[in-house]
Amino acid sequence: MTSFQPESPSDGEAVLLLRLAGPIQAWGTRSAFNRRETGAEPTKSGVIGLLAAAAGLAREDPLDELLPLRLGIRVDQPGTLLRDYHTVSDYRGRPLPQAGVTAKGIQKPTSPVKLTHITTRYYLQDAIFLAAVAGPYGLLNTLDQAVRAPAFPLALGRRSCPPTQPVSLGLREATLEDALREERWQVSRQSGEQFAAQLGRDRQLDRPLYPARIDRSATLEDPDGDDVLHDAPVSFDPHLRTFTSRRVRHTWLSIPTSFPNPDDTTNGSDDEAGHDPFALLGW
Amino acid sequence: MTPPKARTYIDIHILQTVPPANLNRDDQGNPKDAYFGGVRRSRVSSQAWKRSTRTHFAERIPKQDLATRTRRISTALTERIVEGTDLETEAAARLAAALLAQLKISAGKKEGDTAYLFFYGRRQLDAVAALVRDRAVQLSELEDTELADEITKIPVREQFNAGHPMDVALFGRMVADIPALNVDAATQVAHALSTHAVELEFDYFTAVDDEQKEEETGAGMIGNIGFNSATLYRYATVGLHQLLHNLTDEEAAVTAVEEFVTSFARSMPTGYANSFAHRTLPSMVVVVVRTDQPVNLVSAFEEPVAASSGIAAASARNLAREHAKAVRAWGDTPEFTGLCHTFADSSDTAELLTSTFGETRAFPQLLSDLRVHLVDTLKQAAR
Repeated sequence: MTSFQPESPSDGEAVLLLRLAGPIQAWGTRSAFNRRETGAEPTKSGVIGLLAAAAGLAREDPLDELLPLRLGIRVDQPGTLLRDYHTVSDYRGRPLPQAGVTAKGIQKPTSPVKLTHITTRYYLQDAIFLAAVAGPYGLLNTLDQAVRAPAFPLALGRRSCPPTQPVSLGLREATLEDALREERWQVSRQSGEQFAAQLGRDRQLDRPLYPARIDRSATLEDPDGDDVLHDAPVSFDPHLRTFTSRRVRHTWLSIPTSFPNPDDTTNGSDDEAGHDPFALLGW
Repeated sequence: MTPPKARTYIDIHILQTVPPANLNRDDQGNPKDAYFGGVRRSRVSSQAWKRSTRTHFAERIPKQDLATRTRRISTALTERIVEGTDLETEAAARLAAALLAQLKISAGKKEGDTAYLFFYGRRQLDAVAALVRDRAVQLSELEDTELADEITKIPVREQFNAGHPMDVALFGRMVADIPALNVDAATQVAHALSTHAVELEFDYFTAVDDEQKEEETGAGMIGNIGFNSATLYRYATVGLHQLLHNLTDEEAAVTAVEEFVTSFARSMPTGYANSFAHRTLPSMVVVVVRTDQPVNLVSAFEEPVAASSGIAAASARNLAREHAKAVRAWGDTPEFTGLCHTFADSSDTAELLTSTFGETRAFPQLLSDLRVHLVDTLKQAAR
């Protein structure tokens, strides 16, 4: 890969914000064979994979430039788990092929003959995340352009999960945590209204309550973090797929809701009702 | 990192109303669903609709006629043999011709004199070239008859029998053990979701034994069938650049897009078809060609369409507004927009659709206009 360095206002770091939203998403960490799981939050391999696809890298290409990028995830709407029963068969009614090949280089049929594989695939439904990727300004500027004009169609962890627009929210010159803290809450107008109505009921008011800020959970990459995730990609080459671990810390961020006329009596820090104890569990 | 190159994506948006049906069921036997925008929606998985698309596709695509386009395939194969060996073009061409003789192709026939295309995939040619790579020089030194004898031992035919290349170029193939057979799909298909909230309903049925004895009462069998009825939003996108990469042939790529749009629009999963007779045609098909990125417009339905009156028409209006909003907000005007719908001509819905997507066209007309546009696009790119 050739380095591409456009004119940058500063040689420093920048943060690229991505809105990861769509009806269904799937962020696998420990999936194999017939059971395809999803984690509760986007994985680093998923986000780096999305950026690599946008930039047009082949699976076998080295990821050198992308690997040092740091990732932060904010959970704007945790969504729920969807289990999809998925059968696989050949549409011509032939036996399914196996991975092995004949001397002539043709896939052998399964033996004994197998006509249907049953697989179970898990998705997150109705979830919305804000991902922040920190790294050199020039590289992120290129990736920002790539996400807006991707080489391959983008997907939220699995090909059948196209994202809704916009994906890229542009670059910010801030730290990972500040960029995630200052971006407005990414839920739909309707979900925001439902939240406010529920908050009003919780406080025994007979009207919706519109806080200026609410707390949302976040996972930030941090060398001194107290948790380890094993989802950092090393290579996407189908024959050498490898991952490594990275240190993260989990935290709560007080974020702006962008309600038009907020009731300023509450703010995120002491807003108990805005705290969702189940968010950490991903339910 | 290099800056992005030009792309061409063909987005297909379809609204289709399905009567009470159960066309894609889970292991409980109930129609699949998902939550979106906080309410339950009917869902048809992408794999289910892809399967019906492929079946439809396979029924319509004629069997390969191997006697066409021989000059093109010979040239392409010659190039590949030259790339990997020390042979000169002339010797490589002789070798390519000998290899292709196995396909019973009569070399040097005039192009374009038949109705069929011979589709071959890039990977297939690579595989054939790889078969002779190590012994190319040794083979090229043989006399004609000896060469022909030697070539018959090489499994060329089988390479072209490994699936229909057009089908594989569109839908991809993943074979864990053999990277040479892997092909990245050019299409992306989303799960179809209803534009409105849907509840699961049950049909309680009893089956009566006609041969029942007088003294016995009761049913022979009882049970429940889960079903629902929905107006579905279906979305797929095709990357023309990826398709071209997979197929190597421009005309084949354009034809593949046309065939995919046709089969995706006209096919339907067949689950419980005999109990529900649910086959319908779309109320609306919109094809959008973009050079920036694919745009899925499912966000038009995050707020579910109210079930007061005319869900299909209200969904179409929401879709048009979402498309207009996306174009306004991002300033990315599509290169081509084609609309085909079945709403009443004088209605507000038809007016809004026309002002957003242009005049409605009959589906065959839409396809041929799309073809003209794509051929133009590829011509421009070649300059």
